[in-house]
Amino acid sequence: MTAVVVEGLRKRYGAVDAVRGVSFSVEEGEVFALLGPNGAGKTTTVEILEGFRPHDGGRVEVLGYDPGNRSTRRGLRERMGIVLQELAVEPTLSVREVLTRNAGYYPAPRGVGEVIELVGLGEKANARIKTLSGGQQRRLDLGLGIIGDPDILFLDEPTTGFDPSARRAAWDLVKALTGAGTTVILTTHYMDEAEALADRVAIIARGEIVATGTPDSLGGRDAGDVEIRFHLPAAIAAADLPVPVESVDGTLVKIKTDQEVQVLHKLTGWAIRRKVVLTGLAVERLSLEDVYLRLVGDPGGAAEVAAEPRVKAVS
Amino acid sequence: MSVAEAKSKGPLGDVVMVARQTGYEQLAFWRNRIGAIFTVGFSTVFLVLLAAGGGGSRISFLGNIRQIQYYAPGFVAYGVMSACFNMLAITMVVRRETGLLKRLRLSPLPNWVMMGAIFVNALIVAAVQVVLLLVIGRLAYHLQLPHNYLALILAIVVGDICFTALGVAASTLIPNQEAAGPSVSIVFFVLLFLSGLWFPLKSGSGLARVSSIFPVRHLITAVFAPFDLRPGVSPWSWNDLGVMAIWAVVGAVVATRRFKWEPRRG
Repeated sequence: MTAVVVEGLRKRYGAVDAVRGVSFSVEEGEVFALLGPNGAGKTTTVEILEGFRPHDGGRVEVLGYDPGNRSTRRGLRERMGIVLQELAVEPTLSVREVLTRNAGYYPAPRGVGEVIELVGLGEKANARIKTLSGGQQRRLDLGLGIIGDPDILFLDEPTTGFDPSARRAAWDLVKALTGAGTTVILTTHYMDEAEALADRVAIIARGEIVATGTPDSLGGRDAGDVEIRFHLPAAIAAADLPVPVESVDGTLVKIKTDQEVQVLHKLTGWAIRRKVVLTGLAVERLSLEDVYLRLVGDPGGAAEVAAEPRVKAVS
Repeated sequence: MSVAEAKSKGPLGDVVMVARQTGYEQLAFWRNRIGAIFTVGFSTVFLVLLAAGGGGSRISFLGNIRQIQYYAPGFVAYGVMSACFNMLAITMVVRRETGLLKRLRLSPLPNWVMMGAIFVNALIVAAVQVVLLLVIGRLAYHLQLPHNYLALILAIVVGDICFTALGVAASTLIPNQEAAGPSVSIVFFVLLFLSGLWFPLKSGSGLARVSSIFPVRHLITAVFAPFDLRPGVSPWSWNDLGVMAIWAVVGAVVATRRFKWEPRRG
């Protein structure tokens, strides 16, 4: 069954088109990542799915509901879990108190003790929230996201600002929490996060989806160009090589081709005949990062960043 | 009771949710000890200071009553305002700017349950102050208690509604957390001063006419009426209640028109 359907979604803020005809769908149980730079429109898109923001055009359906419909809003909210970028709960309450309170908002919540154990806050269950470390607060945040036993979970840049080991721990936690058929919509601007968590990725830039696919196949990664690299042997000029060269950086030669078998055959045959060694010979597919950068173009257009409503001024 | 059970009882389930949510509001309020002590204790501290300063002096134009008989209801009004207007406006700004409102908005908790809990919480904080003022006034200064409690309760509840609406309205006009405390306090103390909290106003005086535009003076006189010892004075001040009701509507309109669930941009 399809959990999320988005067709031709549009949203304007004043004169700025934040979302310009976005379409995608997410199957039940799928982990779907919206990957894009700040201001690309991913948070706006997700906020429309969450029913937090109205949209100006197109069609949106989440678990069969129109998220903008006020009369069914509560029913949708009861099946939805949300992890925002910042933890926002009363600092004087304890972990257990906040989870117990929020569990009461849902018709069939998970057990409070079970969730506390799942997110690894067993020893902090009775600690005031203001005494938790940043990482512990994020884990509580995940706990609040799943306390209602949601059918769909929204994760908004869940590891922004984490150090590398904390990010791996958070990913493991997300995988453990979402294993059991929960649909997940993840927004992120980290390629490795999308690669680690998502079944499918959509790259969004300037309010439009520029590519969709599995992390392996995105942007023709599995079919398109590969890069062949090696160090230029001494006393040989790049022009002497039997194949066309993309670039030479010092002694490092780079060749881009979608005919890697033929090119390698020519190159290695030539090297054997000439009795030269191709030091550091490597063949690599485009990284997700290469694909991403190629697709989003200049990621830091100032106007786009200003258009993102969630971005706070640095004061 | 679980919420699933509560829900099967229809609208009553939501009332249970308000009670539950109010419980957590109260828990968070009292956990913040210093904040709670200042919020609840200020009115009593002021009453004690004024009573100590004024001694046994009397107010001639109010039937020669002792000052405590005026100041006690005055600080009841102060307590209602501080709980509903000040505390609420600041709380709402902090919750909006820290993302707490957005999070609540995205939970299944209905908006009216959230607002209801905030309102009842303010009412409880106001009631605690009222009881404290009356008990200390009675025990320490021989305050004569109101001769009509229903009139007193009605005045307090109408004041609570009025200043809750105005408190939420004020929060929508305050751009950030840093500005919340100072801007609310200035409005609060200037209006209290003009409205005769620190020194009683003769009705018909210029200041009384100016301050009667605002709801603060009406709350003070409405709360004072049941404490008024002059013969033939009614404890029910319908005019004052009416003006507060009009301000409540104004506050509610501003609040609903301008309400934002997320931090202000920029």
